[in-house]
Amino acid sequence: MHGNPPLIHATGAARWDEAFLPDGSIRPAYRQAFGHFEALGTAGVESLQHSADLSMLNQGVTFTVYSDARGTEKIFPFDLMPRIIDAHEWQKIEQGVAQRMVALNLFLEDVYHGQKILKAGVVPTSQIMRSTLFCREMSGLNPPGKVHVHIGGIDLIRNESGEFHVLEDNLRCPSGVSYVIENRWVMGRVQPELLKQYRVRPVDHYPQMLFDSLASLSARDNPTVAVLTPGTYNSAYFEHSFLANQMGAELVEGQDLLVDQDVLYMKTTRGLQRVDVLYLRVDTDFLDPLAFRPDSVLGVPGIMHAYRAGNVALANAPGNGVADDKALYAYTPEIIRYYLDEEPILPIVPTYLGSRATDLRYMLEHLRELVVKPTDASGGYGLLVGSHASKKELEAFRSQLAANPDHYIAQPIQQLSTHPTWVEQDGGHGFFPRHVDLRPFAVCDVHGDVRVLPGGLTRVALRQGSLVVNSSQGGGSKDTWVLYPENGAEASRA
Amino acid sequence: MLSRIARNIFELGQQIERAENIARILDVNQRMSLEQHYFSELDVWSPMLAITNSREAFDERYGEVTRDNVLAFLISDTTHPYSIRTCLNHAREMARTIRERISEEMWLYLNKMYLGMEKVKNSGRQDSFLAEVRQFCSAFHGLVDNTMSHDESWNFMRLGISLERALMTSRILEIKYHLLLPSADEIGKPLDLHQWQALLRSVSGYEAYRRKYKARIEPPKVINLLNLDSRFPRSIHYCIRQLHEALQGIRISNRQQYMLSRETEIFLDDLRGGAAGEDVLGMGLKGYLESVQKRCGKISTMIYQTFFDSVTITVIHGNNERLSLQIPQQQQR
Repeated sequence: MHGNPPLIHATGAARWDEAFLPDGSIRPAYRQAFGHFEALGTAGVESLQHSADLSMLNQGVTFTVYSDARGTEKIFPFDLMPRIIDAHEWQKIEQGVAQRMVALNLFLEDVYHGQKILKAGVVPTSQIMRSTLFCREMSGLNPPGKVHVHIGGIDLIRNESGEFHVLEDNLRCPSGVSYVIENRWVMGRVQPELLKQYRVRPVDHYPQMLFDSLASLSARDNPTVAVLTPGTYNSAYFEHSFLANQMGAELVEGQDLLVDQDVLYMKTTRGLQRVDVLYLRVDTDFLDPLAFRPDSVLGVPGIMHAYRAGNVALANAPGNGVADDKALYAYTPEIIRYYLDEEPILPIVPTYLGSRATDLRYMLEHLRELVVKPTDASGGYGLLVGSHASKKELEAFRSQLAANPDHYIAQPIQQLSTHPTWVEQDGGHGFFPRHVDLRPFAVCDVHGDVRVLPGGLTRVALRQGSLVVNSSQGGGSKDTWVLYPENGAEASRA
Repeated sequence: MLSRIARNIFELGQQIERAENIARILDVNQRMSLEQHYFSELDVWSPMLAITNSREAFDERYGEVTRDNVLAFLISDTTHPYSIRTCLNHAREMARTIRERISEEMWLYLNKMYLGMEKVKNSGRQDSFLAEVRQFCSAFHGLVDNTMSHDESWNFMRLGISLERALMTSRILEIKYHLLLPSADEIGKPLDLHQWQALLRSVSGYEAYRRKYKARIEPPKVINLLNLDSRFPRSIHYCIRQLHEALQGIRISNRQQYMLSRETEIFLDDLRGGAAGEDVLGMGLKGYLESVQKRCGKISTMIYQTFFDSVTITVIHGNNERLSLQIPQQQQR
């Protein structure tokens, strides 16, 4: 740093920054990484960024943007500076995520059977029974091992307190894990020397974890596992094909499957072959035209019957939406206490429910300080960030909210933590603070054992000041490094 | 293997082969038309539409058969199924659905070609684009053979490639004899020879011909090379043998698949023995080529029926009674 403008900037960082301490000095875990990037200089970083982007594009590591009429494939922008989490911090995340998975599994089993939690008044009955996400076809159905959530992605944020908070549970089709693995792969290719300086826990065994947990759901020897995708036009098609490929499982579409005598088969060049476990990447609504939407061509007629008969296991189980509903989220701490008799390890963000009269009044009066979300949408569609909305938008939203309050929840705007990210700002390129979140992934086998992948998807809002990190809204991602215990960043090897 | 996957692999091979053939014939035609001052009255572009079986689609979109129109139509017009770009787009779409079946290198290479094509869109450098396509397809074939396991997937790909190639070779020959045929007194004149040379070049057969026959170009020998030669990789004989070998590599599980295998075997025997040669003399070249196309069409139909569009259900009664039923399946495409 001899007169050159600095490459990594702390100005504009949130109250909590992942790489900088409040006094502006560098967190110990990031020192080596900073040294590495400073040594590369602007031109060095740009050329690496270019080769990383190209590698993603050529690999076809892309997603499809719906709002774009041509269904263009875009890469999920990958940022060169890793997000580093030390072993101590990770331990808490791991335990907190596992705790939620266990509790929500118990909740789902209860809701579709005895409904003790509703009778005890912990969660209002109307909240569940009036939810469009409550799946009547699951009532009384016994999934293998009573497990409903086999794959979960829990969205976490770190606010100004520095503590991780749960923002959202994804218990239906959480996506993004393929980017976790691909990001690490690209990182190893373009910056091997940086990766070698740290002791980073691997993530590429995820497909094996997933396969083991899926295979455990069938009582048959060498069960046939298949992944059900809506097809190449789905935004997450790359991930479906990636996971099927890595697991050595067949990637199937609805048209490849048929149910005969309550057994699920796939059509092959040698005739029908039985399928024992199906990993669903199709919305429950489209799964079975006989049970759900009759106009669906993505699903398989009769598959719910085969499921009920115990001839095929489905993962995740249909009907999980009732547990990751944004309105139910407010009750999750109580749910954890009720089933596990434990305090939640990871706190949630205070949540106001449109369905509660007092909350609604607060929401209408304080719209500008809140993030308002529809309860049944994901991907950042249809949400309002009060502080970033124009007067007109606020007015329009206020009347929508008043007309349909049950449909919305609100949370105080969270000051997401920031992380240095390679962007263009003030006419030059550099690492500037951008807001990030974290989605760790967990799988649960037939015995209820939960394993959390050490890593996760760090999404970053590339626009200055933006708090919306979704890929569909122009977010990027970072490789997330969970370090082995003790020596996070090893002392210089030289 | 999933029927849908098998079909997509088959069509991937077919589309790559089709793109290559279109590039080949256009390339040669380009060169031929450069020398047009020599015989300017000749319409060399209509036959291109006939070879690709796309005259109707062309007439719907363009008025006159001119060099520029035909090139635009067959290279970059994606509103119909006969252009190079459509073929490569389709091939890439197929490859996306079978990424786990093809090698990483094949996918990377195809994807790069696709992305590159998006970039050069309407720039006028057609010559280098055609050369690029030919090079790409050749390299792709190399990757197919050298980076993919020679398992069922590979064999389905070979089915698609060899069937398409046999059809193309027969169409190219047909065009020469029935659309390019000059008046009788032109036979053996420079123009005629020039055309035979171009035809050989379009199937990369010029050198092979020279080495094998040395002498001047004689039509019966060209016909022999492109039909009956067992070693020339674009001859119909060679293609049908590839097709037959590919079928041998796919496990047969029902009667119809067996019938398909028999059908190809008989076809191959005809080409290997003297029957095909006699047919050319007996039926005339036109009649013979039509019969080749008919046989290829029948094989294609049978491939779709037995492997892609129907399922076999085996019903087992007690211990020793098995009943195999073939039921057509609905296509949801």
